[in-house]
Amino acid sequence: MFTSVADVQDKLEKADYITSREIATVVFLAAATNKPVLVEGPAGVGKTELAKAVSRSLGLQLIRLQCYEGLDEAKALYEWEYAKQLLYTQMVKEKIQDVIAGAKTLSDAVEKIASQEDAFFSERFIQPRPLLQAITSEKPVVLLIDEVDKSDPEFEAFLLELLSDFQVSIPEIGTKKAVKIPFVVLTSNNYRDMSDALKRRCIHIYIDYPEKDLELKIVRLKIPGIGQRLSDRLVEAIRAIRNLDLKKKPCISETLDWARSLMALSAEELTSEVLVDTLNMICKYKADAEAVKANIEGIVN
Amino acid sequence: MVNAVLKFVACCRTAGYRISTSEVVDCISQLELIDMLDEEGFRAVLRANFAKSRREQAQFDRLYHLYFHELRQDIDLDDPESMTERMEDVLRTLQEQANGNRAQRAILDFLQGDPMGFLEIMRRLQTEEVDMSQGRKFNLGPLASRLQVMVQLNDVKGRVERVLEENPFHYAADTRRNLARRFESQLERAYELLLREARPHNESLRQVRTHEQYLRQLGERPFTSLTPREIEQVREVIDRLVRKLKDIMSRRYASSSRGVLDVKKTLRRADRYLGVPMEIRFRKKPPKKGKVVTLCDISSSVWAAARFMLNILYSLQECFTKVNSFVFVSGLAEVTEIFENEEINHAIEKVLKDVDIDYLAQTDYGETFRQFRDRHMDALNKKTTLIIIGDARSNYFHPEDRILEEMREKCRRLIWLNPEPEGSWNTGDSEMFAYKPHCHELRECRNLNQLVDFVEELIL
Repeated sequence: MFTSVADVQDKLEKADYITSREIATVVFLAAATNKPVLVEGPAGVGKTELAKAVSRSLGLQLIRLQCYEGLDEAKALYEWEYAKQLLYTQMVKEKIQDVIAGAKTLSDAVEKIASQEDAFFSERFIQPRPLLQAITSEKPVVLLIDEVDKSDPEFEAFLLELLSDFQVSIPEIGTKKAVKIPFVVLTSNNYRDMSDALKRRCIHIYIDYPEKDLELKIVRLKIPGIGQRLSDRLVEAIRAIRNLDLKKKPCISETLDWARSLMALSAEELTSEVLVDTLNMICKYKADAEAVKANIEGIVN
Repeated sequence: MVNAVLKFVACCRTAGYRISTSEVVDCISQLELIDMLDEEGFRAVLRANFAKSRREQAQFDRLYHLYFHELRQDIDLDDPESMTERMEDVLRTLQEQANGNRAQRAILDFLQGDPMGFLEIMRRLQTEEVDMSQGRKFNLGPLASRLQVMVQLNDVKGRVERVLEENPFHYAADTRRNLARRFESQLERAYELLLREARPHNESLRQVRTHEQYLRQLGERPFTSLTPREIEQVREVIDRLVRKLKDIMSRRYASSSRGVLDVKKTLRRADRYLGVPMEIRFRKKPPKKGKVVTLCDISSSVWAAARFMLNILYSLQECFTKVNSFVFVSGLAEVTEIFENEEINHAIEKVLKDVDIDYLAQTDYGETFRQFRDRHMDALNKKTTLIIIGDARSNYFHPEDRILEEMREKCRRLIWLNPEPEGSWNTGDSEMFAYKPHCHELRECRNLNQLVDFVEELIL
């Protein structure tokens, strides 16, 4: 695991993820105290990427659960493999004769069959889904519960047991405790507010669009060939565009896409023409593109 | 250290934060793991544990700054002890004079570095409701109580000056000047806290400004200027839209995912194959539908838009588990039944004729929210989408935006549709700026295109 806040920053940077001190502090504490992290922030600032970077930097497996409306236990936790159960029942039908062979009365026979019940409700017939996989894994893993705000309130309630005690209950088998406590990251786009109970169990971090220096660092790390001057201008321009009133503001991945396309066009200088030509890398809506065009002077200079 | 954090937590709680004991314990154990002398880290830990959503962070930062920076008595390097002592001497004299007055005592505590009492007063100002006992409504209530605190602040200021002038402790001239300066800056902070209240961050607010152009002419006409013939046309368009949406929905339900194993059916099927369960049957899972609660302002300006909205929602009733609707002007009335029992156009007429609402009264959003909270809060749950249609023009009555915040916490999403052009929001008696931080989504809704856009997104 991590040894200090600086160590977190260092290791994440080696995994190609640059963070602010605040984020590194929270990651360090979450890892040290076995608490889940609840990450909030606008789309595209690298919330999901944080979890991936943690898994890369610690060399742990990443298990991802994508939340959506209607996600239920059967898809998130486990499901009984009914087909297999039924097939086994058929195949061992004859065996039942052997089991109840010595039984004198009917209730005696029932008793004997009952003692075999475990054979059918055992882990053999359970198909583990992401949450159960994360809990039962022999090695520690990073569990990413993505866009938890899209899930239903029932699912959120059901997550509580997992997040506070790192265990899940399967009625037929019992409670399964985590073999190794996973590092849990939940991300939220703030589509709706999360419940207090969930928030109480997590430690919270809000990731905003990065500061100028941080974004520059990211651009230079991801696109090594880019010139000092161009990257400067590019980041300035993106920040100016973010200040406009847009339907969808350009995020970090769009900055990078844009930088790559400028490199591909071997543009040395950021001029109005270049910006207009490459505008669809930054703006995903027509109305946004118009807004940028209207303010192009302010952005380029 | 623990003490300082605990005191800070007490302050946060007074200011309205819900911080549980387990969070305090977490925070303190985490502080042991980091370098506490590094302020950024210290602050990050407190923030990560106490302000667990973006909405709360603005107020948290304010409190943090107040508590750990502004109220910390600056230590005078020349004689650190005596300065604080002297301040305390002065304050003690004033305490004796203040005797019964609560506000004044809170202010004096604030000067001494303990903001609890003052924060409590602020909290009360913010959550205070109109006193209905007088039978007369006006929006000066909160302003007046704020004014009272300001008067107290001024009073304390005057008395500090007087004490320093009388100089019962026989201080030297520059000590007195120092003391005066220090008191003044603390009082300045109290003023600022009182006047500039931090509003919650609401970056996740979806403010929709653009819309698809479904219909050229009719689609862009404001609802308020439709001729009777055009109203008929709008209805036809809505009918067509409703049919289209219903088709899409029924297809979606038909293909909705399977549920758990249906043992009965599977065994019955197995009989065909000598008891071998060849075919496995699953129960159909009932599709999840949302619940909708609408609050419609039916004062004349807004009604034009609201009626079409209701028209669509009730035509699409089967897409939701339940649609509850309320109408209001200066008070609230539930009209769900009328819409359930009557043909839609009749129902709309009936709402205007039969419902017990004074149409000539002045619109009062605050009163509406109060009534909603007292009588109908149980209509909201975490699966409810609350749609408010109104111009937020509340005739300068108390806006009660805190109640709207409560409502936000109870429902899944809060969507506000404003039938005024965006340019005129926040002008005159519009309270849009007070309500905006509590909405999940905010849209202008003044013509058919915008309405169609909204409904399609709501359902699909």
